[in-house]
Amino acid sequence: MNSFNIYLPVAGIEFNAILLVSIGFCVGVLSGFFGVGGGWIVTPALNIFGFHMAFAIGTDLSNIFGQTIGAVRKHHKMGNIDWKLGLISIFTSVVGLEIGSDVIIALEKAGDVGIIVRWCYMLLLWGLGSYMLHDYFGSRQKASAPSIGEGDKRTGKVSPGISERLHRITIPPLVSFPASGIEGVSVWIILGIFLFTGFMSGFLGVGGGFIIMPALVYLIGLPTAVAVGTSLVTVLFSGAYGCLSYALKGRVEVVAAIIMLIGASIGAQVGSTAVKYIKGYGIRLLFSVMIVLAGFSVALEQAYKITNHHVFQTYAGVVLIGTAISMSVIIIGKLIADARKERGRR
Amino acid sequence: MSLKRILSTALLSIVLVCTIPVVDQAARTAIASEKQETALSMTIDTKKLSGINLVIARMYNEDRVLYAAMVTIVMAVLGTVLAFLTDLVLKALGLEVSRISHRE
Repeated sequence: MNSFNIYLPVAGIEFNAILLVSIGFCVGVLSGFFGVGGGWIVTPALNIFGFHMAFAIGTDLSNIFGQTIGAVRKHHKMGNIDWKLGLISIFTSVVGLEIGSDVIIALEKAGDVGIIVRWCYMLLLWGLGSYMLHDYFGSRQKASAPSIGEGDKRTGKVSPGISERLHRITIPPLVSFPASGIEGVSVWIILGIFLFTGFMSGFLGVGGGFIIMPALVYLIGLPTAVAVGTSLVTVLFSGAYGCLSYALKGRVEVVAAIIMLIGASIGAQVGSTAVKYIKGYGIRLLFSVMIVLAGFSVALEQAYKITNHHVFQTYAGVVLIGTAISMSVIIIGKLIADARKERGRR
Repeated sequence: MSLKRILSTALLSIVLVCTIPVVDQAARTAIASEKQETALSMTIDTKKLSGINLVIARMYNEDRVLYAAMVTIVMAVLGTVLAFLTDLVLKALGLEVSRISHRE
Protein backbone atom coordinates (compact mmCIF):
# COMPACT_ATOMS: atom_id res chain seq x y z
CA MET A 1 0.00 0.00 0.00
CA ASN A 2 2.94 2.32 0.63
CA SER A 3 3.69 2.41 -3.10
CA PHE A 4 0.44 4.36 -3.49
CA ASN A 5 1.63 7.06 -1.12
CA ILE A 6 1.87 10.48 -2.72
CA TYR A 7 3.26 13.75 -1.44
CA LEU A 8 0.70 16.51 -0.94
CA PRO A 9 2.59 19.79 -1.45
CA VAL A 10 0.18 22.21 0.23
CA ALA A 11 -0.58 20.11 3.34
CA GLY A 12 3.06 18.96 3.41
CA ILE A 13 2.29 15.30 4.19
CA GLU A 14 2.36 11.93 2.45
CA PHE A 15 -1.01 10.32 1.92
CA ASN A 16 -2.29 7.09 0.44
CA ALA A 17 -3.97 7.78 -2.92
CA ILE A 18 -6.13 4.62 -2.73
CA LEU A 19 -7.47 5.74 0.62
CA LEU A 20 -8.36 9.15 -0.83
CA VAL A 21 -10.14 7.62 -3.84
CA SER A 22 -12.01 5.20 -1.54
CA ILE A 23 -13.17 7.95 0.84
CA GLY A 24 -14.23 10.00 -2.20
CA PHE A 25 -16.12 7.09 -3.75
CA CYS A 26 -18.09 6.26 -0.59
CA VAL A 27 -19.03 9.86 0.06
CA GLY A 28 -19.92 10.35 -3.62
CA VAL A 29 -22.37 7.44 -3.50
CA LEU A 30 -24.01 8.90 -0.38
CA SER A 31 -24.07 12.39 -1.88
CA GLY A 32 -25.76 11.36 -5.12
CA PHE A 33 -28.21 9.07 -3.33
CA PHE A 34 -29.21 11.18 -0.33
CA GLY A 35 -28.67 14.72 -1.65
CA VAL A 36 -26.06 15.58 0.98
CA GLY A 37 -22.52 16.92 0.68
CA GLY A 38 -21.00 14.35 3.00
CA GLY A 39 -18.75 16.81 4.80
CA TRP A 40 -19.66 15.25 8.14
CA ILE A 41 -17.89 12.08 6.94
CA VAL A 42 -14.97 13.41 4.90
CA THR A 43 -13.83 16.18 7.25
CA PRO A 44 -13.38 13.94 10.33
CA ALA A 45 -11.97 11.14 8.15
CA LEU A 46 -9.26 13.39 6.68
CA ASN A 47 -8.59 14.82 10.13
CA ILE A 48 -8.15 11.33 11.62
CA PHE A 49 -5.68 10.40 8.86
CA GLY A 50 -3.51 13.43 9.57
CA PHE A 51 -4.97 16.51 7.86
CA HIS A 52 -5.14 19.70 9.88
CA MET A 53 -8.84 20.48 10.48
CA ALA A 54 -8.74 23.66 8.33
CA PHE A 55 -7.24 21.72 5.39
CA ALA A 56 -9.73 18.89 5.94
CA ILE A 57 -12.69 21.30 5.69
CA GLY A 58 -11.32 23.23 2.68
CA THR A 59 -10.33 20.09 0.76
CA ASP A 60 -13.69 18.50 1.52
CA LEU A 61 -15.64 21.56 0.31
CA SER A 62 -13.69 21.53 -2.98
CA ASN A 63 -14.48 17.85 -3.40
CA ILE A 64 -18.17 18.48 -2.64
CA PHE A 65 -18.26 21.15 -5.35
CA GLY A 66 -16.71 18.87 -7.97
CA GLN A 67 -18.73 15.76 -7.16
CA THR A 68 -22.08 17.57 -6.96
CA ILE A 69 -21.87 19.03 -10.50
CA GLY A 70 -22.35 15.62 -12.12
CA ALA A 71 -24.94 14.54 -9.59
CA VAL A 72 -27.03 17.69 -10.14
CA ARG A 73 -26.86 17.15 -13.91
CA LYS A 74 -28.08 13.58 -13.52
CA HIS A 75 -30.89 14.46 -11.12
CA HIS A 76 -31.97 17.22 -13.52
CA LYS A 77 -32.15 14.63 -16.29
CA MET A 78 -34.40 12.46 -14.10
CA GLY A 79 -36.69 15.43 -13.33
CA ASN A 80 -35.66 15.40 -9.68
CA ILE A 81 -34.87 19.09 -9.30
CA ASP A 82 -37.23 21.90 -8.42
CA TRP A 83 -35.00 24.80 -9.47
CA LYS A 84 -37.33 27.48 -8.14
CA LEU A 85 -37.37 25.93 -4.68
CA GLY A 86 -33.63 25.24 -4.87
CA LEU A 87 -32.80 28.88 -5.59
CA ILE A 88 -35.09 30.14 -2.80
CA SER A 89 -33.37 27.66 -0.50
CA ILE A 90 -29.89 28.96 -1.39
CA PHE A 91 -30.64 32.62 -0.68
CA THR A 92 -32.76 32.07 2.44
CA SER A 93 -30.40 29.50 3.94
CA VAL A 94 -27.53 32.02 3.72
CA VAL A 95 -29.48 34.44 5.98
CA GLY A 96 -30.27 31.62 8.45
CA LEU A 97 -26.65 30.48 8.33
CA GLU A 98 -25.41 33.95 9.25
CA ILE A 99 -27.85 34.13 12.19
CA GLY A 100 -26.76 30.64 13.33
CA SER A 101 -23.06 31.50 13.20
CA ASP A 102 -23.72 34.82 15.02
CA VAL A 103 -25.44 32.88 17.81
CA ILE A 104 -22.40 30.60 18.05
CA ILE A 105 -20.03 33.58 18.24
CA ALA A 106 -22.19 35.13 21.00
CA LEU A 107 -22.26 31.84 22.93
CA GLU A 108 -18.49 31.40 22.52
CA LYS A 109 -17.95 34.49 24.67
CA ALA A 110 -19.69 32.68 27.52
CA GLY A 111 -17.42 29.62 27.35
CA ASP A 112 -16.91 26.33 25.52
CA VAL A 113 -19.81 26.15 23.10
CA GLY A 114 -18.66 22.88 21.51
CA ILE A 115 -20.34 20.69 24.11
CA ILE A 116 -23.72 22.44 23.66
CA VAL A 117 -23.44 22.21 19.88
CA ARG A 118 -22.69 18.48 20.04
CA TRP A 119 -25.68 17.84 22.33
CA CYS A 120 -27.91 19.71 19.85
CA TYR A 121 -26.31 17.79 16.98
CA MET A 122 -26.99 14.45 18.69
CA LEU A 123 -30.58 15.42 19.50
CA LEU A 124 -31.17 16.53 15.91
CA LEU A 125 -29.66 13.39 14.36
CA TRP A 126 -31.40 10.95 16.71
CA GLY A 127 -34.67 12.90 16.73
CA LEU A 128 -34.78 13.11 12.93
CA GLY A 129 -33.65 9.49 12.54
CA SER A 130 -36.29 8.21 14.98
CA TYR A 131 -39.03 10.25 13.31
CA MET A 132 -38.07 8.95 9.87
CA LEU A 133 -37.94 5.35 11.12
CA HIS A 134 -41.34 5.80 12.78
CA ASP A 135 -42.69 7.25 9.52
CA TYR A 136 -41.24 4.37 7.51
CA PHE A 137 -42.72 1.62 9.68
CA GLY A 138 -46.02 3.53 9.88
CA SER A 139 -46.17 3.66 6.09
CA ARG A 140 -45.49 -0.08 5.86
CA GLN A 141 -48.35 -0.77 8.24
CA LYS A 142 -50.61 1.43 6.12
CA ALA A 143 -49.49 -0.32 2.95
CA SER A 144 -50.38 -3.71 4.43
CA ALA A 145 -53.97 -2.44 4.94
CA PRO A 146 -55.11 -2.60 1.26
CA SER A 147 -57.62 0.27 1.10
CA ILE A 148 -55.38 2.88 2.70
CA GLY A 149 -52.32 1.71 0.79
CA GLU A 150 -54.09 2.03 -2.54
CA GLY A 151 -55.20 5.54 -1.60
CA ASP A 152 -51.66 6.61 -0.95
CA LYS A 153 -50.46 5.16 -4.21
CA ARG A 154 -53.22 6.91 -6.14
CA THR A 155 -52.65 10.38 -4.75
CA GLY A 156 -48.89 10.04 -4.74
CA LYS A 157 -48.81 12.24 -1.62
CA VAL A 158 -45.71 11.94 0.45
CA SER A 159 -46.18 12.91 4.06
CA PRO A 160 -49.71 13.81 4.99
CA GLY A 161 -48.63 14.91 8.47
CA ILE A 162 -46.67 18.08 9.11
CA SER A 163 -46.41 19.31 5.50
CA GLU A 164 -50.18 19.26 4.92
CA ARG A 165 -50.78 21.10 8.15
CA LEU A 166 -48.25 23.75 7.08
CA HIS A 167 -49.88 24.00 3.64
CA ARG A 168 -53.18 24.92 5.36
CA ILE A 169 -51.59 28.14 6.69
CA THR A 170 -52.44 30.41 3.75
CA ILE A 171 -50.87 33.75 4.68
CA PRO A 172 -50.39 35.64 1.37
CA PRO A 173 -48.53 35.78 -0.90
CA LEU A 174 -48.95 32.17 -1.97
CA VAL A 175 -46.44 30.47 -4.22
CA SER A 176 -46.63 27.31 -6.35
CA PHE A 177 -43.94 24.78 -7.21
CA PRO A 178 -45.26 22.88 -10.24
CA ALA A 179 -42.09 20.76 -10.53
CA SER A 180 -42.81 19.35 -7.07
CA GLY A 181 -46.57 19.20 -7.49
CA ILE A 182 -47.11 21.81 -4.76
CA GLU A 183 -49.75 24.47 -5.26
CA GLY A 184 -50.59 27.51 -3.18
CA VAL A 185 -48.26 27.39 -0.21
CA SER A 186 -47.49 30.52 1.80
CA VAL A 187 -44.14 32.00 0.87
CA TRP A 188 -43.60 32.77 4.57
CA ILE A 189 -43.74 29.08 5.42
CA ILE A 190 -41.12 28.31 2.77
CA LEU A 191 -38.87 31.16 3.93
CA GLY A 192 -39.32 30.11 7.57
CA ILE A 193 -38.31 26.52 6.82
CA PHE A 194 -35.17 27.52 4.93
CA LEU A 195 -34.29 30.10 7.59
CA PHE A 196 -34.50 27.29 10.14
CA THR A 197 -32.39 24.84 8.07
CA GLY A 198 -29.84 27.60 7.40
CA PHE A 199 -29.77 28.51 11.09
CA MET A 200 -29.13 24.88 12.04
CA SER A 201 -26.31 24.68 9.45
CA GLY A 202 -24.65 27.78 10.89
CA PHE A 203 -25.22 26.71 14.48
CA LEU A 204 -23.91 23.17 14.01
CA GLY A 205 -21.18 24.14 11.53
CA VAL A 206 -22.32 21.68 8.85
CA GLY A 207 -23.14 22.00 5.14
CA GLY A 208 -26.81 21.37 5.74
CA GLY A 209 -27.73 18.80 3.07
CA PHE A 210 -28.77 16.28 5.70
CA ILE A 211 -31.10 18.89 7.27
CA ILE A 212 -32.51 20.26 4.00
CA MET A 213 -33.37 16.89 2.43
CA PRO A 214 -35.71 15.70 5.25
CA ALA A 215 -37.08 19.25 5.65
CA LEU A 216 -38.09 19.25 1.98
CA VAL A 217 -39.81 15.88 2.42
CA TYR A 218 -41.51 16.30 5.79
CA LEU A 219 -42.11 20.05 6.04
CA ILE A 220 -42.71 21.03 2.41
CA GLY A 221 -44.04 17.68 1.18
CA LEU A 222 -41.75 16.99 -1.79
CA PRO A 223 -41.44 13.48 -3.22
CA THR A 224 -38.21 11.98 -1.82
CA ALA A 225 -36.37 11.87 -5.16
CA VAL A 226 -37.18 15.56 -5.83
CA ALA A 227 -36.03 16.42 -2.31
CA VAL A 228 -32.71 14.65 -2.99
CA GLY A 229 -32.12 16.53 -6.26
CA THR A 230 -33.24 19.92 -4.94
CA SER A 231 -31.12 19.55 -1.81
CA LEU A 232 -28.12 18.89 -4.06
CA VAL A 233 -28.62 22.29 -5.74
CA THR A 234 -28.09 23.98 -2.37
CA VAL A 235 -25.11 21.72 -1.66
CA LEU A 236 -23.59 22.59 -5.07
CA PHE A 237 -23.72 26.33 -4.44
CA SER A 238 -22.44 26.13 -0.86
CA GLY A 239 -19.66 23.80 -2.09
CA ALA A 240 -18.64 26.27 -4.83
CA TYR A 241 -18.59 29.17 -2.40
CA GLY A 242 -16.70 27.14 0.22
CA CYS A 243 -14.17 25.90 -2.34
CA LEU A 244 -13.32 29.43 -3.52
CA SER A 245 -13.34 30.91 -0.03
CA TYR A 246 -11.10 28.25 1.55
CA ALA A 247 -8.74 28.25 -1.46
CA LEU A 248 -8.32 32.03 -1.11
CA LYS A 249 -7.34 31.44 2.52
CA GLY A 250 -4.88 28.78 1.36
CA ARG A 251 -6.70 25.94 3.08
CA VAL A 252 -7.36 23.64 0.11
CA GLU A 253 -4.97 20.78 -0.61
CA VAL A 254 -5.63 20.70 -4.35
CA VAL A 255 -3.79 17.43 -5.11
CA ALA A 256 -5.78 15.57 -2.45
CA ALA A 257 -9.03 17.18 -3.65
CA ILE A 258 -8.37 16.09 -7.26
CA ILE A 259 -7.56 12.51 -6.28
CA MET A 260 -10.58 12.31 -4.01
CA LEU A 261 -12.75 13.73 -6.80
CA ILE A 262 -11.87 10.78 -9.06
CA GLY A 263 -13.63 8.45 -6.64
CA ALA A 264 -16.31 10.95 -5.66
CA SER A 265 -17.47 11.73 -9.22
CA ILE A 266 -17.85 8.04 -10.02
CA GLY A 267 -19.59 7.44 -6.69
CA ALA A 268 -21.96 10.38 -7.16
CA GLN A 269 -23.06 9.08 -10.58
CA VAL A 270 -23.67 5.61 -9.12
CA GLY A 271 -25.58 7.08 -6.15
CA SER A 272 -27.72 9.30 -8.38
CA THR A 273 -28.53 6.37 -10.67
CA ALA A 274 -29.65 4.32 -7.64
CA VAL A 275 -32.39 6.90 -6.96
CA LYS A 276 -34.07 5.72 -10.18
CA TYR A 277 -34.37 2.17 -8.86
CA ILE A 278 -35.01 2.60 -5.13
CA LYS A 279 -38.40 3.87 -3.98
CA GLY A 280 -38.76 7.02 -1.88
CA TYR A 281 -39.38 5.19 1.38
CA GLY A 282 -36.33 2.99 0.77
CA ILE A 283 -34.19 6.15 0.49
CA ARG A 284 -35.73 7.51 3.69
CA LEU A 285 -35.11 4.25 5.59
CA LEU A 286 -31.41 4.16 4.65
CA PHE A 287 -31.06 7.88 5.39
CA SER A 288 -32.59 7.47 8.85
CA VAL A 289 -30.28 4.55 9.71
CA MET A 290 -27.30 6.57 8.51
CA ILE A 291 -28.07 9.64 10.62
CA VAL A 292 -28.79 7.55 13.71
CA LEU A 293 -25.31 5.99 13.32
CA ALA A 294 -23.81 9.43 12.69
CA GLY A 295 -25.42 10.46 16.00
CA PHE A 296 -23.48 7.67 17.74
CA SER A 297 -20.30 9.02 16.24
CA VAL A 298 -21.07 12.49 17.63
CA ALA A 299 -21.84 10.87 21.01
CA LEU A 300 -18.38 9.22 20.99
CA GLU A 301 -16.79 12.56 20.11
CA GLN A 302 -18.68 14.11 23.01
CA ALA A 303 -17.41 11.34 25.32
CA TYR A 304 -13.86 12.17 24.17
CA LYS A 305 -14.33 15.86 24.98
CA ILE A 306 -15.67 15.02 28.43
CA THR A 307 -13.23 12.24 29.40
CA ASN A 308 -10.23 13.19 27.20
CA HIS A 309 -9.68 9.52 26.26
CA HIS A 310 -8.42 9.43 22.65
CA VAL A 311 -9.98 6.03 22.10
CA PHE A 312 -13.45 7.66 21.96
CA GLN A 313 -12.32 10.08 19.26
CA THR A 314 -10.75 7.27 17.26
CA TYR A 315 -13.87 5.15 17.37
CA ALA A 316 -16.04 8.17 16.53
CA GLY A 317 -14.13 8.31 13.24
CA VAL A 318 -14.31 4.56 12.80
CA VAL A 319 -18.11 4.57 13.28
CA LEU A 320 -18.40 7.32 10.65
CA ILE A 321 -16.16 5.58 8.13
CA GLY A 322 -17.84 2.24 8.85
CA THR A 323 -21.25 3.82 8.30
CA ALA A 324 -20.15 5.40 5.02
CA ILE A 325 -18.69 2.13 3.70
CA SER A 326 -21.66 0.00 4.79
CA MET A 327 -24.22 2.43 3.36
CA SER A 328 -22.36 2.64 0.04
CA VAL A 329 -22.22 -1.15 -0.19
CA ILE A 330 -25.95 -1.45 0.56
CA ILE A 331 -26.86 1.24 -2.01
CA ILE A 332 -24.72 -0.35 -4.74
CA GLY A 333 -26.05 -3.81 -3.85
CA LYS A 334 -29.63 -2.54 -4.05
CA LEU A 335 -28.89 -0.76 -7.35
CA ILE A 336 -27.49 -3.93 -8.93
CA ALA A 337 -30.31 -6.13 -7.60
CA ASP A 338 -33.11 -3.75 -8.67
CA ALA A 339 -31.54 -3.03 -12.07
CA ARG A 340 -31.31 -6.77 -12.73
CA LYS A 341 -34.89 -7.25 -11.60
CA GLU A 342 -36.05 -4.47 -13.96
CA ARG A 343 -34.10 -5.95 -16.85
CA GLY A 344 -35.65 -9.34 -16.10
CA ARG A 345 -39.14 -7.81 -16.21
CA ARG A 346 -38.41 -6.33 -19.65
CA MET B 1 -37.19 -17.29 1.05
CA SER B 2 -36.12 -17.79 -2.56
CA LEU B 3 -32.66 -19.06 -3.47
CA LYS B 4 -31.98 -15.79 -5.32
CA ARG B 5 -32.76 -13.77 -2.20
CA ILE B 6 -30.59 -16.03 -0.01
CA LEU B 7 -27.69 -15.70 -2.47
CA SER B 8 -27.98 -11.92 -2.71
CA THR B 9 -28.19 -11.61 1.11
CA ALA B 10 -25.14 -13.87 1.44
CA LEU B 11 -23.24 -11.82 -1.16
CA LEU B 12 -24.08 -8.57 0.59
CA SER B 13 -23.01 -10.05 3.94
CA ILE B 14 -19.68 -11.16 2.43
CA VAL B 15 -19.05 -7.67 1.03
CA LEU B 16 -19.94 -6.12 4.38
CA VAL B 17 -17.64 -8.52 6.22
CA CYS B 18 -14.87 -7.63 3.74
CA THR B 19 -15.23 -3.97 4.73
CA ILE B 20 -14.34 -4.80 8.35
CA PRO B 21 -10.56 -4.93 7.66
CA VAL B 22 -10.83 -1.48 6.02
CA VAL B 23 -12.52 -0.08 9.13
CA ASP B 24 -10.00 -1.91 11.31
CA GLN B 25 -7.16 -0.41 9.28
CA ALA B 26 -8.73 3.01 9.73
CA ALA B 27 -8.75 2.49 13.51
CA ARG B 28 -5.12 1.35 13.56
CA THR B 29 -3.96 4.24 11.40
CA ALA B 30 -5.89 6.66 13.56
CA ILE B 31 -4.35 5.28 16.74
CA ALA B 32 -0.85 5.23 15.22
CA SER B 33 -1.06 8.76 13.91
CA GLU B 34 -2.69 10.21 17.00
CA LYS B 35 -2.62 13.96 16.65
CA GLN B 36 0.19 14.07 14.08
CA GLU B 37 -1.60 16.73 12.12
CA THR B 38 -0.15 18.83 9.36
CA ALA B 39 1.07 22.24 10.39
CA LEU B 40 -0.88 25.26 9.20
CA SER B 41 1.60 27.20 7.17
CA MET B 42 0.94 30.09 4.82
CA THR B 43 3.97 29.39 2.61
CA ILE B 44 5.27 26.14 1.17
CA ASP B 45 8.96 25.22 1.23
CA THR B 46 9.66 24.66 -2.49
CA LYS B 47 13.29 23.42 -2.12
CA LYS B 48 12.49 19.71 -2.30
CA LEU B 49 9.66 20.00 -4.83
CA SER B 50 9.68 19.39 -8.56
CA GLY B 51 7.29 19.03 -11.49
CA ILE B 52 3.59 19.72 -10.95
CA ASN B 53 4.04 19.95 -7.16
CA LEU B 54 6.51 22.81 -7.68
CA VAL B 55 4.10 24.63 -10.00
CA ILE B 56 1.27 24.30 -7.47
CA ALA B 57 3.50 25.39 -4.56
CA ARG B 58 4.77 28.47 -6.45
CA MET B 59 1.25 29.48 -7.37
CA TYR B 60 0.17 28.99 -3.73
CA ASN B 61 3.06 31.11 -2.44
CA GLU B 62 2.99 33.89 -5.03
CA ASP B 63 -0.64 34.49 -6.04
CA ARG B 64 -3.37 33.20 -3.76
CA VAL B 65 -6.17 34.56 -5.97
CA LEU B 66 -4.79 32.67 -8.97
CA TYR B 67 -4.45 29.55 -6.80
CA ALA B 68 -8.10 29.86 -5.68
CA ALA B 69 -9.29 30.39 -9.26
CA MET B 70 -7.23 27.41 -10.45
CA VAL B 71 -8.65 25.14 -7.69
CA THR B 72 -12.26 26.16 -8.41
CA ILE B 73 -11.94 25.81 -12.19
CA VAL B 74 -10.07 22.49 -11.99
CA MET B 75 -12.66 21.01 -9.63
CA ALA B 76 -15.54 22.18 -11.85
CA VAL B 77 -13.99 20.92 -15.10
CA LEU B 78 -12.74 17.65 -13.64
CA GLY B 79 -16.07 17.03 -11.90
CA THR B 80 -17.95 17.54 -15.18
CA VAL B 81 -15.57 15.41 -17.28
CA LEU B 82 -15.46 12.53 -14.78
CA ALA B 83 -19.25 12.57 -14.40
CA PHE B 84 -19.63 12.48 -18.18
CA LEU B 85 -17.23 9.54 -18.53
CA THR B 86 -18.87 7.63 -15.66
CA ASP B 87 -22.24 8.25 -17.28
CA LEU B 88 -20.97 6.67 -20.51
CA VAL B 89 -19.80 3.58 -18.61
CA LEU B 90 -23.10 3.30 -16.73
CA LYS B 91 -25.01 3.63 -20.01
CA ALA B 92 -22.92 0.83 -21.51
CA LEU B 93 -23.83 -1.29 -18.47
CA GLY B 94 -27.51 -0.63 -19.13
CA LEU B 95 -27.95 1.83 -16.26
CA GLU B 96 -29.18 4.73 -18.37
CA VAL B 97 -31.44 7.28 -16.71
CA SER B 98 -34.29 9.34 -18.07
CA ARG B 99 -37.22 11.23 -16.52
CA ILE B 100 -38.62 9.08 -13.72
CA SER B 101 -42.00 8.80 -12.04
CA HIS B 102 -41.71 9.70 -8.39
CA ARG B 103 -42.75 6.60 -6.44
CA GLU B 104 -42.85 6.69 -2.69
